Amino acid sequence: MRSAATLIVAYLLLILQSTVLELAPVHMAVPSFGLLVVLHVGLSTSKWTISSAAVVAFVTGYLFDLVSGAPQGVHAFVFTLMALFARALTTRVAVNGIVLGAATSFVASLLSSFLVVLVRAQVAPEGGWGGLRQAPLEAVLTGIVGPFVLSLFRRLDGRVDTARSRVGLARGPHGGGTSMSMSLTERR
Amino acid sequence: MVGGSSKRLRELAVVAATLIVALIALRVSARNPGELSALDRGILRLVSPGQAAMSYVARGITGVAGRYVELKGVRAENEALHRENRQLRTELMEMRRLAEESGRYQRLLGLRDATPAEMIAARVIAVDASPYFRVARVDIDRGEGTVRRGMPVLTPEGVVGRINRVAGKSSDVLLLVDPRSALDVIVPRTGGRGILRGKSGENGYRCSIEYLARGEPVKEGDAVVTSGVGGAFPRNLAVGHITRIIPGAVGLYQDVEVTPDVDFARLTDVLVVVAPPPAPDPDPGSHHTPGRGMAVIK
Repeated sequence: MRSAATLIVAYLLLILQSTVLELAPVHMAVPSFGLLVVLHVGLSTSKWTISSAAVVAFVTGYLFDLVSGAPQGVHAFVFTLMALFARALTTRVAVNGIVLGAATSFVASLLSSFLVVLVRAQVAPEGGWGGLRQAPLEAVLTGIVGPFVLSLFRRLDGRVDTARSRVGLARGPHGGGTSMSMSLTERR
Repeated sequence: MVGGSSKRLRELAVVAATLIVALIALRVSARNPGELSALDRGILRLVSPGQAAMSYVARGITGVAGRYVELKGVRAENEALHRENRQLRTELMEMRRLAEESGRYQRLLGLRDATPAEMIAARVIAVDASPYFRVARVDIDRGEGTVRRGMPVLTPEGVVGRINRVAGKSSDVLLLVDPRSALDVIVPRTGGRGILRGKSGENGYRCSIEYLARGEPVKEGDAVVTSGVGGAFPRNLAVGHITRIIPGAVGLYQDVEVTPDVDFARLTDVLVVVAPPPAPDPDPGSHHTPGRGMAVIK
């Protein structure tokens, strides 16, 4: 249920990303909403196992490949790597708050851009290594919207937990329902 | 303990499998660019209506915002006059928008009549979702099934690109400015010929001409048009203008930058050339049954 809800929101964000140019004054770069979905599943260790994070990142990336017209697999591969990067990051830094959320989104966007260009150079060599000049602007835009989108997903996760606890399905990422049930009880 | 480590192994196996599937997808798409599996086509059929709807809403919001900005400066002493004024202005703006839209369609029709090839109209529903792949998605209301990979896409301003992937009513257009795009062009003033390729690494929409001989006396401002070589693109379609001749080129060819005539950031309607222009009539005196192309349109 959590994965389905996340993927539906990811789909809506990707559509927004592919049409947002109609409104944006800057026509060269838009925030990478797909990457923010991946960051969320990678950073939320209490809600997402590493395997489910990788699968959601893959599906989001594959969907983005289809929506953006990129060769299939480019973003699927890069987003899966980014989910692993985010998970590795959580072992060192607790990404909480607007500033850290923005900084993480910014750095992840830069890294993701580099990886996309790297993979593109292998799949479509005629594209060369160019395109990285757009990366800083895209990273800044992603950094600006990052904390808000991450917060939106945290709320979505909270709603999913509430819905699951209502039907007695509350489970943590490791299959036990105790931790979430307890936290809900404690909150009450 | 054993259960925990087996679970961890299972987790890692899923992650590894995901990465392997992604790599397989990459390999397949590198071998057959433009090919879509049945699953991909199915997903795109689901996604495209959402994109079309969002694009429609986005354009509506832009129009309303534009109208609001124009109306904001209007001040009237009399409230009734103010209201009337605002209403008239809104109507005028709507009429202008309709006239502009009508003009755009007329220009498209003009291009269709002037170009000796069979074309169908398409609406742009998304542009440049990723800055690293210059691709637009178009929606075709009529003529589904006639669009194929490689077909040219045009506007009255010039060449847009060519169809890259087709999924039902919607298709991906590889824009001229994508580095994967290559188009045979000539500079009519000098007759110089080369291959126009999208320029990666640029913040703007730029292209460059490859294999343009150093001896060609091209200069900034020269028009660049299609050569017609290859048969897909009709000859003499506007492509862009030379904006920079980069000094210091060595070897047989010069380094020339071209700015396309089409404003890719504001693409709304395009034409897809579904049949190439007819071959020149070897015996213009006698008349045969009409073939495809202009004869069909007229």
